[in-house]
Amino acid sequence: MPQLQTKYFGTMAYDEESAFDFPSGLPGFKQEKAFVFIETPEYAPLVFLQSLSQPALCFLALPVLSVNPDYRLAVSAEDRASLGLDPERDPEPGDGILALALVSLHANLPPTANLMAPIVVSVRQRRALQAIRVDRVYSHQYPVSTPQQCEGVC
Amino acid sequence: MLVLRRRAGESILIGDDIEIEFLELTPQGAKIGITAPRQTIVLRKELKITEEQNARAARGPAGQDLPQVFQQLSNNKLKFPPSPR
Repeated sequence: MPQLQTKYFGTMAYDEESAFDFPSGLPGFKQEKAFVFIETPEYAPLVFLQSLSQPALCFLALPVLSVNPDYRLAVSAEDRASLGLDPERDPEPGDGILALALVSLHANLPPTANLMAPIVVSVRQRRALQAIRVDRVYSHQYPVSTPQQCEGVC
Repeated sequence: MLVLRRRAGESILIGDDIEIEFLELTPQGAKIGITAPRQTIVLRKELKITEEQNARAARGPAGQDLPQVFQQLSNNKLKFPPSPR
């Protein structure tokens, strides 16, 4: 099994098939096409998006529903097609779809999650992208001091 | 902020070499054409915001600060089950 250097968890063995493919990378990180998602009981519900190519690059992410239990996804037709999702309607977290908000830290303010541009993951296709919303419904710096309990699949 | 009203087919000029033409206006949105010098960066604003936010998110906590950041995130009150896949 190949080894992976991680930012937070030392060297880990990982299964190549467990990596998620980001065909377009992330805005500002176009070259980052593959991430492994690390979850640990200690830090649940955090998900660590560890870059396969850069050990020092690891995003902290939270399931959008743990940040805001009423969150509704809005994914553009182009992004839905790229993930192989139903072209007619917005996906919902759960049912093979994972929606994660990247967490940012600030000097004197609580951490924030980017609910404007969640990472939307097709678990079946092992494919993901950052689905930038244009509707201004949710902030790109949504405060997360107390994530809500998340029932079932986030 | 300067506010102008334009109809489909009309344009505005910014400086000497940038033209923005309003091609099609529908309730779903406006289709615009932008003519600008090659070195002028044209970017959807939300993409720029996302790039900046990603750069901040990538800085993340140092390894030794992770427990403290997690405590801040969860306020040390709630426990979460790992999300099932």
